[in-house]
Amino acid sequence: MKFKDLLGLSISNLKRRKLRTFLTVLGVIIGTASIIVMVSLGIGQSELQMELISASSSLTTVSVYGGSSGMYYSGSSQSGQSEEPLYITDEVMEQFASLPHVTGASPMLNYYVIAKQGAYENNFNLVGVSHEYMENIPLGEGSVPKAGDKQLSLIYGNMIQRDFSNAKTGEGYWSTGEEPDVDLVNRPVFIIFDPDRYYQSQNQNQSAQDMTGAESGETVQPVTPPKKYIIPTAGIVEGGPEDWNQYSYSVYCDVDALKSQLKTVFRKDPIPGQPTNKKGKPLSYFVYDQAEVYVDDMDNVKEVQDMITSMGFQAMSNVEWVESSQKQMQAQQAVLGGIGAVSLLVAAIGIANTMMMSIYERTKEIGVMKVLGCDMDNIRDMFLLESGFIGLMGGVLGVLCSYLISRIINALYLRQQMQEAAMYGTVMGDISRIPLWLVGIALVFAVLVGMLAGFFPAKRAMKLSALSAIRNE
Amino acid sequence: MKGKRIIEVRDLYKIYQVGSNRVHALNGVSFDIYKGEFVAVVGTSGSGKSTLLNMLAGLEPPTKGTIQIAGKRIDRMNERQLVAFRRNNVGFIFQSYNLLNTMNGIENVAMPLMFRGVPKAKREKQAAKYMKLMNVLDQAKHMPNQMSGGQQQRIGIARAMVVEPKIIFADEPTGNLDSHTTMDVLHLMQRLVREQQQTLVMVTHDNTLASYADKQIRIVDGKIVSLEYGERGLEIEGEDAEAEKQLSLGAGAQQPQQEEGEPETASRERKEQGVSENE
Repeated sequence: MKFKDLLGLSISNLKRRKLRTFLTVLGVIIGTASIIVMVSLGIGQSELQMELISASSSLTTVSVYGGSSGMYYSGSSQSGQSEEPLYITDEVMEQFASLPHVTGASPMLNYYVIAKQGAYENNFNLVGVSHEYMENIPLGEGSVPKAGDKQLSLIYGNMIQRDFSNAKTGEGYWSTGEEPDVDLVNRPVFIIFDPDRYYQSQNQNQSAQDMTGAESGETVQPVTPPKKYIIPTAGIVEGGPEDWNQYSYSVYCDVDALKSQLKTVFRKDPIPGQPTNKKGKPLSYFVYDQAEVYVDDMDNVKEVQDMITSMGFQAMSNVEWVESSQKQMQAQQAVLGGIGAVSLLVAAIGIANTMMMSIYERTKEIGVMKVLGCDMDNIRDMFLLESGFIGLMGGVLGVLCSYLISRIINALYLRQQMQEAAMYGTVMGDISRIPLWLVGIALVFAVLVGMLAGFFPAKRAMKLSALSAIRNE
Repeated sequence: MKGKRIIEVRDLYKIYQVGSNRVHALNGVSFDIYKGEFVAVVGTSGSGKSTLLNMLAGLEPPTKGTIQIAGKRIDRMNERQLVAFRRNNVGFIFQSYNLLNTMNGIENVAMPLMFRGVPKAKREKQAAKYMKLMNVLDQAKHMPNQMSGGQQQRIGIARAMVVEPKIIFADEPTGNLDSHTTMDVLHLMQRLVREQQQTLVMVTHDNTLASYADKQIRIVDGKIVSLEYGERGLEIEGEDAEAEKQLSLGAGAQQPQQEEGEPETASRERKEQGVSENE
């Protein structure tokens, strides 16, 4: 018998009991939709989690710290010859960059400065990073300084402006509720690269006023206030003063420009924050307290991290966090999928029941077909096709239904998210996500369940006696 | 004109176990059927005639004895082989027509060809040919429930013929028809046998209908009690007819009666009741 004819027979059989077929298909629709929706919730949740992780920091980035006292201790005791602590230098940066799977490395030179504009001042860490690093910062205004630009220019985080406070009263946005009168883009910003001396000179002025000539015997070398530099603004990080992201509270600049700027500011004097050798003299090179190493793929992060650790540095990444949260999410997904699978199981029982009913009803017909020489395998295949078809229809309609349900869930979730986001910043996104592979698996599964449920009824139909055709009712 | 033997039945027994009783539905039956013959198996309800037909068509296995059709021992076949055998050699006409309600006339006729894997266009052409022969071509697009009993049975006969089988079995083919239609259908079957050189085995309880056959095999209590030949039957079998009688009646008479008297009759009656309940 030709497959096309078999298919035609099966479909005409399904058509003749439309309501029953529909009800059975409905069972499969519910089963399929519940599996898809449940799994999509699991996927959505774990992807949201991943987005949250990657919003706070990159998943393929390894942060490296060096030069700490702990490292100094272990470094000297292990090697026994390294007198100096393990610093992250330009040389080390090159080593990092040449590691396998590493696509790039950026030093992070943190330098504490004071910024002034008018009556307002602010202090923050200036972070000197590579040009590549800056290019990944999403900018709302301005542009990243050109590579190799010797002139220092700054990229401000979008929350920096609100952090400025009045130098005299010490009051800022957080106490007064008023936006500080600061314009980082259009008005010049003065940067003080030697905050210690600045504070010393401030204190000195005050103490000088307090005790004018009271103790003239002591000759205090007056501290001259440090020079202020006008540093141009290159850009502002994307987002308003309330949209938090990982760049919001920092100020970035090109590391080479920062180094040359610091050299011109301090000349031969030691630069604050930079280590000195045993004699207290400044080193001839810069030492970075932190660096970021970029890895090509998430799967290789652990390997790179281990390599850097074995070089003697402290390396941190999100891998452990991601792994543990992924494990947790997988368990959650299995539970959700299991709940969905139960309803598909019920649908399978429905299919089996329908097929059994159908066979009882058509006992005589099957007998006639057998008397007229219909192959037994064909009879079995006909019933298998019917139940498989029920599965397929239920699967297709179930997929459509689950898209609908998923949309509704997402719409509801979005409203809740908006409320949460208004209170504290959160990552926005769909909670129910249906990837294409899930649709494919669900369809295959539905057809398979249909055919499996129809298997025993079909075998039974195949074995029905041809004699039933002869009996007259 | 002498025919070839197409069916050879030898010493056929069918014993049913009903409760603790053994019922001999067929009790040692032997006969031959020749190609081109119209044979009627006549008997009252419960005589064993239907059981005989079922076994000839391979729907039930015999308890003992041999059935050879077109040179093949069908009593030795398993179910799959039997289905295949029927598909290739046998046509079947039912008492209650047994058309498939989901199919229209021509699809019903073409169905056995579908089982053989014949493409749709070809099988419907073939079906149309036999429907025309049966005078029901106008019913091609009608569903069975839109047809009269006579029309349905003609479709049924066309369905049996469409595969051009070596042999056609008919189980009380006119049982559900009125007397006028009965004669109509009977004449059609007769014509079919004569014109198409078909072999037809018809089971009936009606002596009048049986008299249209070329050869009547009369069965009582599971045994052949007489063979009657029509003119054409004698023509086909010729001198074999006497040997036939010897084989069917003599062999049957020589069989020892194993069960006698009251119990057997009683149990047979029970079976008859069972059969008539079904009918």
